[in-house]
Amino acid sequence: MRYAIRHITRFDYAERVGFARCNLRLKPIHWSGQELHDYRLTVQPGGSTAPARAEAGLANVVRLVVTQPVQSLTIESSCTITVDRPVPMPAPDDPTLAQIAADARASRDAGPASPASYLFPSPLIPLDRDIAAWCAQELDPSRGALDAAIALACRIQNEFAFDPTATLVDTPPREAFLKRGGVCQDFAQIMISGLRAAGLPAAYASGYLRTLPPPASRGWSERTPPMHGCCCGAVPSAAGSASIRPTASGWRATMSSSRSAATIPTSPRSTASCWDRVRRTCTYRWMSNRWSRVRPLHSPPAAPM
Amino acid sequence: MASAAADTGEDTAMIARRWLTEYRAATPATDMLYAAGLDDPAWNAALEELAERAGDDLTAAREKAQRHAEDIGTGFRIAGEGEERPWPLSPVPLLIEKREWQRIAEGIAQRADLLEAILADSYGEQNLVRGGSLPATLLTGSPYFLRPMMGLEPPGGCHLHFVAFDLCRGPAGEWRVLADHLRAPAGAGYALENRLAIARMLGGLQGRLNVERHAPFFAAFREGIAARCKRSDPRIGLLTPGRLNPSYAEQAHLARYLGFLLVEGGDLAVLDDRVYLRTIAGLKRVDALWRRVDPRMIDPLAFDSHSAIGVPGLIDAMAQGEVVIANSPGAGMLEAPAFAAFLPRVCARLTGESLKLANIATWWCGQPRECAEVAGDLDNMVIAPAFGVATNVLSDAMLGSAMPPETRAALIADLERRPQDYVGQEVVRLSTMPVVSDGRLEARPFTLRVFAARGADGSWHVMPGGFAQIGEKPDARAAVMGAGNWSADVVIHGGDPVAPVTLLQPSDTTQLRRNPGTLPSRVADNLFWLGRYLERGEARLGVIRALLGHSISADSGAALAADTVGRLVGLVVEAGAAPQPDSLGRAHLTRFAEAAMDATDGWYSIRAINRQARAIGAISRDRLSADMIRLLDAPYPTRGSALDRAGSLQRRYSALAGLSSEHMARTDAWRFHDLGRRVERAVATVSALLALGDPSATSDDLSALLDLADSQISYRQRYLTGIARVPVLDLIALDPGNPRGIAFQVAAIAAHLEALPRLSDDGLAEPQQALARELAAMVATAQAASFGRDELFAIDNKLADLSNAVARRYFLHGSEPLRAAGLVVG
Repeated sequence: MRYAIRHITRFDYAERVGFARCNLRLKPIHWSGQELHDYRLTVQPGGSTAPARAEAGLANVVRLVVTQPVQSLTIESSCTITVDRPVPMPAPDDPTLAQIAADARASRDAGPASPASYLFPSPLIPLDRDIAAWCAQELDPSRGALDAAIALACRIQNEFAFDPTATLVDTPPREAFLKRGGVCQDFAQIMISGLRAAGLPAAYASGYLRTLPPPASRGWSERTPPMHGCCCGAVPSAAGSASIRPTASGWRATMSSSRSAATIPTSPRSTASCWDRVRRTCTYRWMSNRWSRVRPLHSPPAAPM
Repeated sequence: MASAAADTGEDTAMIARRWLTEYRAATPATDMLYAAGLDDPAWNAALEELAERAGDDLTAAREKAQRHAEDIGTGFRIAGEGEERPWPLSPVPLLIEKREWQRIAEGIAQRADLLEAILADSYGEQNLVRGGSLPATLLTGSPYFLRPMMGLEPPGGCHLHFVAFDLCRGPAGEWRVLADHLRAPAGAGYALENRLAIARMLGGLQGRLNVERHAPFFAAFREGIAARCKRSDPRIGLLTPGRLNPSYAEQAHLARYLGFLLVEGGDLAVLDDRVYLRTIAGLKRVDALWRRVDPRMIDPLAFDSHSAIGVPGLIDAMAQGEVVIANSPGAGMLEAPAFAAFLPRVCARLTGESLKLANIATWWCGQPRECAEVAGDLDNMVIAPAFGVATNVLSDAMLGSAMPPETRAALIADLERRPQDYVGQEVVRLSTMPVVSDGRLEARPFTLRVFAARGADGSWHVMPGGFAQIGEKPDARAAVMGAGNWSADVVIHGGDPVAPVTLLQPSDTTQLRRNPGTLPSRVADNLFWLGRYLERGEARLGVIRALLGHSISADSGAALAADTVGRLVGLVVEAGAAPQPDSLGRAHLTRFAEAAMDATDGWYSIRAINRQARAIGAISRDRLSADMIRLLDAPYPTRGSALDRAGSLQRRYSALAGLSSEHMARTDAWRFHDLGRRVERAVATVSALLALGDPSATSDDLSALLDLADSQISYRQRYLTGIARVPVLDLIALDPGNPRGIAFQVAAIAAHLEALPRLSDDGLAEPQQALARELAAMVATAQAASFGRDELFAIDNKLADLSNAVARRYFLHGSEPLRAAGLVVG
């Protein structure tokens, strides 16, 4: 399927900002099963952009520097992309969780696409004993990887309430877990925390899901055991039936309130890089050396996610 | 008896001998002193020197050592908060013979080279991981593995510039490595300080033992960093997280000792991938930074976006080769205890040699066989988090045998799920050394922190010595020693006599200069406000003392008229120092004065001013003399009457004023400090004139005014008749010869601003200079007879404008763009 994506982020500053710097992670990454045809990034009223030099993750990071004083900033990212992935289905010969964990530990690849990069707690997703115990019920080491991941995602989906008022963009997973509520980001983080506590590699990815009603960007968790040529992402999201759709690289289970046909990762969040909420926050700086995080007033909407 | 014993050399030798014999009788053979033997000349010499100073009283020796250390520390330690030495100094140094030390130093240099090679590979081609020598998880498991550093060639060609290692000495006398410190190795400052204190105390030791000195090591470090920079005369900064960091004092001390600028993130700016320091003369290039900031906080654009102490764009500048950062962010990943399990093999693979200094035996549980070994032998091991950060079960290393059953069960379960989070280590037994306890020498376990720096030629220089951390209890197992609770100087002795080298260079090679370098904006800001606060305190105390009846006026007697008292009260209330008293009666006035002195609940009392001055003193250690710091740090007086306390504080402030005018070199730093004083004194004098100098002023008012302006004597020398308003006004406001008067302050302000650096060479006055000239002209042309409220208000407004203009032009705050038109970049 071919998609046209237009993503607008707007910042309104409380006062004019003399000098702003942002990292933008908007351009879809190279990922099996998706092909980017064209990409355009515009910034109003203007600024200079350059690929960030000191970045070696999977994400396409663009450094934006705005030197003229501005009160508001509009960043528009648009692309055309084709997504074509087979439907992931649990199969008897799927690797077991124990195999996936052992393979990740023995990995000889420390690169950003390696499972070794997603085994450990990250600044925003610490290990948590309660989350670990709760998730462990679905994570018997002898269980097939995809079967277990889908089961865990379904359990989160069934037992957690979709509640945009329950959490904020920086709510830690534990808090959302104790409330048994939140949005896709919280569910993904809880799932990642539970998977990692069980010794399984799990990455946070964000991007776009095709949904009805209109699209919103989402966080989901990816387990990547590339040794088996299998990539599996599961999105525990709002109530609704689970649907499974093809991804080129293997299995992708997606659950959402509506049918979803495509998941397009724009930026995986790695253990080492602390960047978070990629599209939703931007860090800017003004002359008095003050840093601040803002939530854009526009796009993507705060709810529903 | 003690002093008699210290008089003759024979007696000190006998005392030392007795100490030695008694100590050896109760000490295991693994002890440093025991192993050296009863007749070891070095230990005998050290103990004789000790007996020379303290006679037979070891407790006195211990106290003496601490006093010396405290004395040395005063100049750079922050009073009141975290000022305690983390490890008090033991009077008995650790003696290591030169040949033994040589082997340690070789091992250190080899290890530092090895770690450098692993870093270059890990952030480069990753052949070690690909080839199976290092599991990938060993890298990715550390929170200090920083992916944005991948593929970044560190400027100067190396990741490591200054490293530290904790060593221990095992039962057979072999030295081994307990831990690596690569992120921000702390303690070099303490090593310096310990050496100074011990040198003062055991002065004779230096010559008797040919003790190796520290200065060449620090010189090598400085030259090493400079050699990595692009420019030949580089500007080097020590990047500190700020004064709330526990080792801020050490950082300030080291910066001063090494001649580095002490800078915070806010002092720096990155423009076009170059790093600049914000100074009073515009932006100045910075070539290298010795960072003591957590690597993840160093650049919010590259790492943690929440960091408010970093420099945005710093890593980009580093990637462009424009700034040397010592050590590279990302170096800290090798601190993970799990690496110890792989170093011997990696060393053999990379260098073909075996480790000259072994690690403690380590098993990383991320491998199935090692994990099974650890799980099967928990009781005989130390279990520790593999990456130095708390795991699901363990927050710190723990003896397996001492583990409570529930922890043990949780650990065994977690070893199933996340074995990669744990290491097993052998239970290390530490060698001991003598310390003073209960008046005698006792054996205590110790570890040794050793420092190494890369010199100009790229090779490693090892600090001869370092510092020993000594355990509190005799239990010699490393795992139970913790951070230790005493420190000792480490003395490397023997060999040829050591030439006295210090960081001072031979005078014929030194380029003479009289300007200490560009003043950072933040320092200028601090010193300006230190001047303002001290002067403000002094002026306020003057009012309080006048109120409390301390007047030298012979005319009006001890008590002032009620109206005058009311006006003085008004001055204090207006300043927000205390609420209006219920009446002007003696009791109310006393309470009022006490409140103006001591109030803490939001009132702008003397205590509040004192606290602010002190806080600035704490972060200006590297700019003020030790005597000034001592006075600033002195506790706020709490005993005695309000009048007594006001008097003693006012004397303290006067002493500070004297020190700053007589002891501070006439640099830009001094100019800002004095500028603050002049502005504040002018403001205070204007307020006093407004309160007490009206045409309706009584002779009591005028007399109080002369008191506040400290001008009674000057007045009496000029005017033999009684007090009259116009002459008083002329003396206090307009006479340029009165150093307490407004005219004098205004002239001094204008002179300072003329002398400070300008941003452009167009010859035009900058705004603050123009304001100062206007102000000086206003005062110079004013006539005493027609001088009144309007003129005073005009001066007051001008002073406020001037102070703001000074802040805008020179200090960090304000909303000017980073590079204003005409700002000098150089």
